[in-house]
Amino acid sequence: MSDVAAMTGATVTRATLRRNFWGSVWRVLLRKPSRLLGVVLMLGFAFMGSIGPMLYDRPLPRDPSVQFASPSLRHPFGTDFQGTDVFSLLVIGSRYVLLTALITAVVSVLLGTAVGLVAGFRRGALDAVLMRITDVNLTIPGLPLLLVLSTVWEFSGAWEMGLVLGLLGWGGLARAVRSQTLSLRERGFVEAARGLGLPNRHIVGRELLPPIAPYIAMNALMSLIVAVYAQVGLFFLGVMPVIGENWGVMLNRAVFDFGAMTTPARLPYMLAPLLAILLLTIAIVLVVDAMDEVFNPRLRVE
Amino acid sequence: MKVTRLTASLAAVALVLAACGGDGDDDSPTTPDDENGAVDETPAEGEVQRGGVYTTIAATQLDATAPPNPFFPQGNSYLGYNSMRLGWVKNHPTNPSEFYPGLASEWDVAPDNSTLTVTIHPDATWSDGTPVTAEDVVVSSDIAYTRGAGAFILSPGAAGTASDVEVIDDKTVQFTQDPENPTSTFINGIMDMVIVPAHVYADQLPDDFAQTLEAARNDDDAGEAARETVSEAGEALASFAPEEDVSAGPYVLERINPSEALLVRNEHFHHDHLVAPDQVILRNYTGNEQIWDYLRAGELDFAQFTAVPPDVVQQIEQVPGNEVSRTYSPVVAGLAFNQSYKPFDDVHVRRALAFAIDREQTVSIATPDGGTPAITTSGMHQEVLDAWAGEVAGELEPYAHDLDRAAEELEAAGMTQENGRWMLPSGEPFEVPIQVVTGFSDWITAGENIATQLNEFGIQSEILTAPDFTVYQEDMANGEYPVGFWLIGLGPSPYNIFQRLYGQSNGWQVLQGNLSYSPPGEDGNWKGGPETVEVDGIGTVNPGELAHELNTASPERVDEIMSILAQVTNETLPAIQMWDYINTQFSNNNRFITDPPDDARRITGVAALAGVWIQQGWVSAAG
Repeated sequence: MSDVAAMTGATVTRATLRRNFWGSVWRVLLRKPSRLLGVVLMLGFAFMGSIGPMLYDRPLPRDPSVQFASPSLRHPFGTDFQGTDVFSLLVIGSRYVLLTALITAVVSVLLGTAVGLVAGFRRGALDAVLMRITDVNLTIPGLPLLLVLSTVWEFSGAWEMGLVLGLLGWGGLARAVRSQTLSLRERGFVEAARGLGLPNRHIVGRELLPPIAPYIAMNALMSLIVAVYAQVGLFFLGVMPVIGENWGVMLNRAVFDFGAMTTPARLPYMLAPLLAILLLTIAIVLVVDAMDEVFNPRLRVE
Repeated sequence: MKVTRLTASLAAVALVLAACGGDGDDDSPTTPDDENGAVDETPAEGEVQRGGVYTTIAATQLDATAPPNPFFPQGNSYLGYNSMRLGWVKNHPTNPSEFYPGLASEWDVAPDNSTLTVTIHPDATWSDGTPVTAEDVVVSSDIAYTRGAGAFILSPGAAGTASDVEVIDDKTVQFTQDPENPTSTFINGIMDMVIVPAHVYADQLPDDFAQTLEAARNDDDAGEAARETVSEAGEALASFAPEEDVSAGPYVLERINPSEALLVRNEHFHHDHLVAPDQVILRNYTGNEQIWDYLRAGELDFAQFTAVPPDVVQQIEQVPGNEVSRTYSPVVAGLAFNQSYKPFDDVHVRRALAFAIDREQTVSIATPDGGTPAITTSGMHQEVLDAWAGEVAGELEPYAHDLDRAAEELEAAGMTQENGRWMLPSGEPFEVPIQVVTGFSDWITAGENIATQLNEFGIQSEILTAPDFTVYQEDMANGEYPVGFWLIGLGPSPYNIFQRLYGQSNGWQVLQGNLSYSPPGEDGNWKGGPETVEVDGIGTVNPGELAHELNTASPERVDEIMSILAQVTNETLPAIQMWDYINTQFSNNNRFITDPPDDARRITGVAALAGVWIQQGWVSAAG
């Protein structure tokens, strides 16, 4: 803040603003080291889902004579029913889960933001139409729809699952963005932009979007959690075919086929995906906490 | 639910096929059977220690609102308890027509298998005090025609059907087999019939039902209309709700709720002195885990086969009083090929896969307590292979796990290996998609393991799932799966053993009593194998014709055909035999001693067997 004060009245360059922003981020993270842990975990999961699967030869090495081996240094989560290292299954299964979550977040954020901004800015008949569509989207029962879709679609690819979850999940964000847009469009800087004759595209993209971007970004992160829970839950419940490399499939097989709830030797096979989901959730929550303070000046402690 | 659905499917298939068996000369408490039938007066000697409540698991999920009608879908009528057959088929490995007595005390089969004469036990009485008579059997036969099962099928040309039902006296009925298309298992189709009280059910049939049945046997428009009438009568019967449960079995339904059904002693049961428990509780369940929990708590006196992980079996066995029995089950799991898909039409490819798959590993991973690895592929359960195939059994190629031989076979099929992956002659990678059914955990796990093994060998493989068994069967019949699991060797009837390989699924079907062959892709021929094959030392063989001949062949000819078909199956591999099923059952001897002979541990179409065992006197109160 002292840097900012020193520059009062001077021309603030874009590079300086960027430097200030990252400096602010770093200070927010350092103030609560748990937030740093969240960022590290997020980076770890990003690495796990993108690079991790490439580090393993396929088919995965295994020893059929050691089915459901106990955790050890060699096998941190033991082995599965075929003697395959559970950690490697976790890493390989993360790609589908995280990619699906990412696609879900992107689709829901893009749709929700676009619909909310346009409806709130334009108002009138277009607003009414878009909001009725939003209401319909909010009332679609996701699970029954997925049950029906699963009879004709195997959801073997992350794109399919991510697209469906994303198309089902943008309604809430659209409503929230619309309400913020309705508030912002009456502010002075928007009036000024209108007065200067700037096009609507500029007003929406450069004047309205930036103030609500932090909210959208945090919403995107939280929708990652929702997407992970939704897809893993669908596979766990057996709504989707219980095959493939996926944390939900691991949970389903562990509980319903291998008796992990009642047999201690099989518990690590169930706990591995559960722990991964827990850590991912914690990571996202901690990062969102940090983002909240970065973007909300009232929460900032200097 | 999981494998219970498979178990139910197995039971249903077995029921449809009227597969049956029996033996037990050494451990059976019955009086000896004669050559053509049996006489029974005393299922077990003396009386058993009585009293107490016997707790077991319902065979299917209970519906507390359903009536005690055996023809009602999920009706509260439980075979062996408050629902009776004339006899209960024994689980003999090779003889499908031996029975334990049900309501019949005597049954005599003519030497040429043309007639079956059944005598009702003289003391057999319904729970309302009315004697069980020949009239009850006749009405039950009429009802059986409406169901179209066993020996009571009206379609012209159907095999092994009863053409005449004659009352000899008040307790004796004679059934005559249709001479147009006889089978050796005609007797099973009669003895498996459920007997219901005529004074309750006769009014549910149309007044002129006897004439309608007669007309329905004709192959003309009037016959078609009559068959439609019979079918409609069956639908009406299926929705009939009797005011009270009238049972000729050892128990009567007292009450039922969504959790359990309570059955109480039927004092009129003709062998009541052999019935130990005063009451029976059939517990409902919605998932196998519930049964595991009951067993671990020692709460069940008996539980039928349920898919149980090995660790859980160990926990169950450690409970004081719990016992696990493992006996022969005439069912085999096979990995079948649709030979319409290339390269599975090439026998070298099928042999390569047989050599490439380590069956012992698959079974140890997928179903260690439910099956034993197949020693070879013969089309029949290992337990009966020697009895049926004789010397040929020892000459069959075992297809032991041998990757070198697998590679040789693939090379013989024109494939090459590039960067560790097997490639088709066209240059495309060789792919093996393995179809399984959602919920059939042993098939899924086995499929995963097989796919893993094949991938390790350089063959690209993955498993695919069908949402349920009905869809699986439909899609398979439509030829949509190149490779999938398929139950074979459904004994003990010789024809039933091989009809799963050389029946309709492979092109051979019986129409109007005549065998015909449909080309691959037509009339349910999804296996797509050749109509005739060349077999070493035998020459050209038509396996479908041989399998069909098993219905009527003499015992000597049956032995000869079984040997030939075992050799054909071993050489041509329409399916790879993966494992032979084991009949695993659980009992607890703290309150009751449950000790049936091995050949009573599986009875056709009866999943919950304790009722049959109780009425035979094989259950007694402990202490």
